[in-house]
Amino acid sequence: MITVNTEAYPWHPGMTVRSLLDEKVFTFRHIIVRVNGEYVPEEDYENFAVQDEDDVVVLHLMAGG
Amino acid sequence: MKRYLRNHDAISETEQSRLAEKHVLVVGCGGLGGMLIECLARIGVGHLRVVDGDLFDETNLNRQLLSSTINLGRPKTLAAQQRVMAVNPLVKVEAFQTLLTEENAVDLLSGCDVAVDALDNIPARLLLQQAAKAANIPLVHAAVAGWIGQVCVIQPGQDLLNMLYPSSTEPHGEEQESGTLSFTAAVTASWQAAETVKLLLGKSGLEGEVLQIDLFSSIMNKVKLI
Repeated sequence: MITVNTEAYPWHPGMTVRSLLDEKVFTFRHIIVRVNGEYVPEEDYENFAVQDEDDVVVLHLMAGG
Repeated sequence: MKRYLRNHDAISETEQSRLAEKHVLVVGCGGLGGMLIECLARIGVGHLRVVDGDLFDETNLNRQLLSSTINLGRPKTLAAQQRVMAVNPLVKVEAFQTLLTEENAVDLLSGCDVAVDALDNIPARLLLQQAAKAANIPLVHAAVAGWIGQVCVIQPGQDLLNMLYPSSTEPHGEEQESGTLSFTAAVTASWQAAETVKLLLGKSGLEGEVLQIDLFSSIMNKVKLI
């Protein structure tokens, strides 16, 4: 089990940031991903492995006023 | 005072007097800033310093409380000042029609208890965070895009905006695609005003976390940043 934005979510072997975003249908173009506090750049989504019990934060990147 | 009767007892009379002594810097008088200034003036924050270099244009009319068809082409700070004077003449307003810059930031923050980020681009937000840190005062941040908004309170040195904007090569975010909606700006600015008032009164609020509000999905999510 992992945590995504404070909620528990089932983990499975082979899970990457990209596959997690796809599963959770996070489709916004501008997002920020942190795994255990570490910022994950978009170019690393495909290869960044999410491990069991990881704490994943996915935030919208917005700056409008 | 009769004007503040409906503030009590959510705000005590002692707290009301304290608010009257407080100074708040609001940078940005647009979608967020307009509603924020309205809230702070009505609740009785005594001194508002409002900063914005822009003039109103037609694209502001969908959401910006201070804009109207009769003040297009006029400074946003002037509208803010006039609105506060009309709503609550007890509030002292200083209006600066200028962009926030490295050169003027120290002067603009001087004497303020709290700075409020109601800006519309990432570089200016990061500059304000740096200035608030140098002035050793808290910063209340908010931003919006389409149906979503976010708020966080940044104590000096926490640099939470670096986590919200980790690779700020672009000045804008989701709002470039989603636009900005009136109710999103209103809700987010209202939350930002509440956090500002809590700071001014020494009450606890958001701490090391960001609140993201999704009005489309009817979800609020508070995520720990530090």
